[in-house]
Amino acid sequence: MTSAASTATGRPATSAMVRRLPEYLMIWVPLLLSAAHLISFSIWTIWISFTPSTLVPVAGWVGLRNYNAVLASRNWQIAFDNLLLFGIAFVLLSLTTGLLLAILLDQRIRGENVLRTIFLYPLAVSFVVTGTVWSWLLNPGIGIEKLVHDLGWTTFHFDWLVNRDMAIWTIVIAAIWQSSGFAMALFLAGLRSVDSDIIKAAQIDGAGPIRTYWRVILPTLWPITITVVVVQLQFAISAFDLVRALTNGGPGIATQLPALVVYDLMFQRSQLGRGAAAAVLMLLILLAVLLPYAAWRYVRGRQAAHA
Amino acid sequence: MRDRSFAPTRILTYLVATLFAAAYLAPLLVVVLNSLRTNEEIAQSSMIGWPQHMAWGNYALAWSGFCVAETCAGIRPYMLNSALITIPATIFSTLLGAVAGYAVSLWRFRGDVWIYGIVTLGLFLPQQMRLLPWTIVLRDIGLINTLSGLVLIHTIQGLSFTVLFCRNYYVAIPHELIRAARIDGAGFFRIFWRIILPLSGPILLVTVIWQFTHIWNEFLYGVTFTPGQQQPVTAALIALSAAVADIPQHGVQSAAVIIAALPTLLIYLFGGKYFVRGLTAGAVK
Amino acid sequence: MPITTTRRRLLAGSAAALALPAFVRAQGAVKPRLTAISQWSAGSDGAAITALGKKFEEKGGVGQHSPVPGFTTEMMNKLRAQIIAGDPPACSQLKGPEIAAWSKIAPTVDLDAVVAAADYEKVVAPDLAKLHKPTGKWIALPLQIYSTNMLFLSKRALDKAKADKPPVTWADFNALAEKMKTNGVTSPVGTGGTRADDGQKFEASLAGISPAVYRSAIMNLDKKALEGPEVKAAFAQMRKLTEWMDPNVGAQPYATNLKRFIDGDMGMLIMGGWAQGVLKNAGFRLDDFIIAPGPSDNGKPVFLLNADAFIFWQRKEADLQAGQMLMAQLVMDPAIQTMYSQITGSIPVRTDVDLSGEGWSDGQRTTAAALKNAMGNNQAVLSLAHNMAQENGLTAAMIDVFTEYAKNKTIKPEEAVARLADAVEGAR
Repeated sequence: MTSAASTATGRPATSAMVRRLPEYLMIWVPLLLSAAHLISFSIWTIWISFTPSTLVPVAGWVGLRNYNAVLASRNWQIAFDNLLLFGIAFVLLSLTTGLLLAILLDQRIRGENVLRTIFLYPLAVSFVVTGTVWSWLLNPGIGIEKLVHDLGWTTFHFDWLVNRDMAIWTIVIAAIWQSSGFAMALFLAGLRSVDSDIIKAAQIDGAGPIRTYWRVILPTLWPITITVVVVQLQFAISAFDLVRALTNGGPGIATQLPALVVYDLMFQRSQLGRGAAAAVLMLLILLAVLLPYAAWRYVRGRQAAHA
Repeated sequence: MRDRSFAPTRILTYLVATLFAAAYLAPLLVVVLNSLRTNEEIAQSSMIGWPQHMAWGNYALAWSGFCVAETCAGIRPYMLNSALITIPATIFSTLLGAVAGYAVSLWRFRGDVWIYGIVTLGLFLPQQMRLLPWTIVLRDIGLINTLSGLVLIHTIQGLSFTVLFCRNYYVAIPHELIRAARIDGAGFFRIFWRIILPLSGPILLVTVIWQFTHIWNEFLYGVTFTPGQQQPVTAALIALSAAVADIPQHGVQSAAVIIAALPTLLIYLFGGKYFVRGLTAGAVK
Repeated sequence: MPITTTRRRLLAGSAAALALPAFVRAQGAVKPRLTAISQWSAGSDGAAITALGKKFEEKGGVGQHSPVPGFTTEMMNKLRAQIIAGDPPACSQLKGPEIAAWSKIAPTVDLDAVVAAADYEKVVAPDLAKLHKPTGKWIALPLQIYSTNMLFLSKRALDKAKADKPPVTWADFNALAEKMKTNGVTSPVGTGGTRADDGQKFEASLAGISPAVYRSAIMNLDKKALEGPEVKAAFAQMRKLTEWMDPNVGAQPYATNLKRFIDGDMGMLIMGGWAQGVLKNAGFRLDDFIIAPGPSDNGKPVFLLNADAFIFWQRKEADLQAGQMLMAQLVMDPAIQTMYSQITGSIPVRTDVDLSGEGWSDGQRTTAAALKNAMGNNQAVLSLAHNMAQENGLTAAMIDVFTEYAKNKTIKPEEAVARLADAVEGAR
């Protein structure tokens, strides 16, 4: 394509183009492949969501039937409510945990390397393993509750995993354990790049440590906070393996989440059309999160350009 | 604030840090302890407990003993499969992402903002949604049931992350540096090779760590697009935990979990410092 | 195109006559090879499929099994991917109505000739046979049979309750459970907490109350039966079961608690015969427990049929075709079925296998007798919880209702009846 276009423009350009062909290939081929797969897969899914596909994709048109079926199903309604609760709770808690850990590590404490590794290592573990291990620990019959009972405190009660009102919080716990290290790393990176002159100036003004953090350091972390929120929200929306291994949507269907519903409809229930509709709904939720973020970045970019 | 005085706040700091560290380590400790207890011992008490006598046999079984259907070779062959998928995919996605990130951030060309935006949106596209389209793509290019097919998938999907992080890192590099090199007649690759790559250590470490752990821990594609003998290590782990037709083998399962997680754990153990450093160096912008 | 009965019989006969020599020839020319996909990777299932593979190789074949560990969904993902790629395995695990559904998306092998040659049809339960020949031709073959409502009784729990006989009706069962509870059995009903477990509780309840209503409500989805008094009674019985269960099982599989069952801390399991294979593999003794048919209010055994099967996908390669024929012959062979069932704890598909031999347990003999009895009384029905009665979409929608009901004790039976009817409506 490149060479065809350049032939028309004349000889010197052609040779320049040919000379620079390798770099165009290196830049464009990966980017185009990546963009193409994202766009075409999304369009494909949108198309499937309007077809009567069941086991395999088929052509046809059923209008909004799949969407109506998904929106009317208890599974989706519960999944959507759970996503709101889980998304907000998880993002807020992992944000505060990550920030707290970062501030702790920023105190030049002894053993910083060890502690940092401890807070980061859960990122290395697969979601399936995290889910399985937490399902052991939180199961009252074989985990923490059993241990405490065996130790003699028999009235101890910790049954969130099998309690349908609380089970969603076990997912929050496991998810925070797994991913707050990432928030910590980003915040720590932010804290470390705060200009030390500002801090010194604040201290000279007589500000205590808490005041210094609150008034001087934390405000500089806003951009990072937004990044953390977006990354963690993305994690919350696509949480899948973890939930499947931890509760598999149970007790009953109390901890269904949209990603579980999509997978279940598409591949377990052989209702590909409905699964695609659920996936499109999920994309719409994602867009609802991402568009404000993109707008914010755009505005910030404009401000930076003016400054 | 960042003083070394011995004050109550200091004690509190250590106390809170220790408590958090304990909470973060607890699950790992439980798995390590279980990997040294026999299945019977675990079944008779609870999942949390001290080994009565060290059941090192769990590790032997996990490494080269337990059966997945008719193959009784433990986790070992699956580790190799995972390495064959993960290492090339990590290298390709990191290198291609670095070049693309460099181009987007320092060369600016028509449409760069758009294509960069679309590519990074890929971070958010759920992978369950991509399974069937990938099936069709792999069929059309004849790579279904091959490790190459999986490497391709992970390379392309990984670009979303690597391009994002590399681009954010490279925008912090002064444009004057590039301009000067161009005036001296250096081309795209020469600048990349001589100037950019030597500066890229921290961010490449971040992307390598990230990509390696994600691909190593992936299950859905790994099990769908490979024949039985080439499945990744996550498939073997699931086979061990699938207790539908079996009494749970928590001891051996725990040992297998530890072995399977070793590569990624070691990466974080030795690379964790650089992970934070790489993010500090500009990737958070 | 009407074909007279005589002509059809003639055709079938000649096909059978032709098929055998062709098969022998094929076997002579190429080494039979078989590519297979299943989820049977661990435990007794894994052991059984491995033993079957060995037999296949003893007969000169080359087996290439791709186990897909974990859930059935991943196995289906793999199968779907292979079919979309135009490269289906020579045979794969599939069961119940899914055989009919999947046979529409890719061509299958017509096994009529090889089935006729083995004179197999007359020794297979008719309801079961129907599932494996959705359009009248055999395209799949069952490997083994379970009943999902067998009653496993812990000897120690029975001793605690000073009982020695298994209960016959639900009233007997409830009385025994109550007695166990008062005599120190912590959970008279043992269970796992998976979706299938909750489904089994319901289907055992309804089929025990009325197999006829089970057939019309669950298998034929008759609206009147679905909203009838028996279904409500089944939910009420299921509520009693959940009251006797350990609330702490969470989503753990039933096998996690087998030790407590043997110790008499859990009293009774309503489970398929596979539990016997698991108990045996785990080193427990067969005389630690009793197996009896599940509760049935009319006193005659009700059999909730569950059968694993292989479907055979059309392949052009001569060696794969030879492999398919060889495998088909093997799985119909009484000796192979005996081997398979003795490993897993199931009973053979063939109704003419003698189970008096040493390798069989009392539980398996009870199960086989129950099947014969149930078939005679038209009380053999297809299991919903194990995907034998409806396609996966409908099954999952119905199990949603059961699993929510099992875990949420504030739902009233009449509410559950309405929800079940809604779920069926919504999934259709």
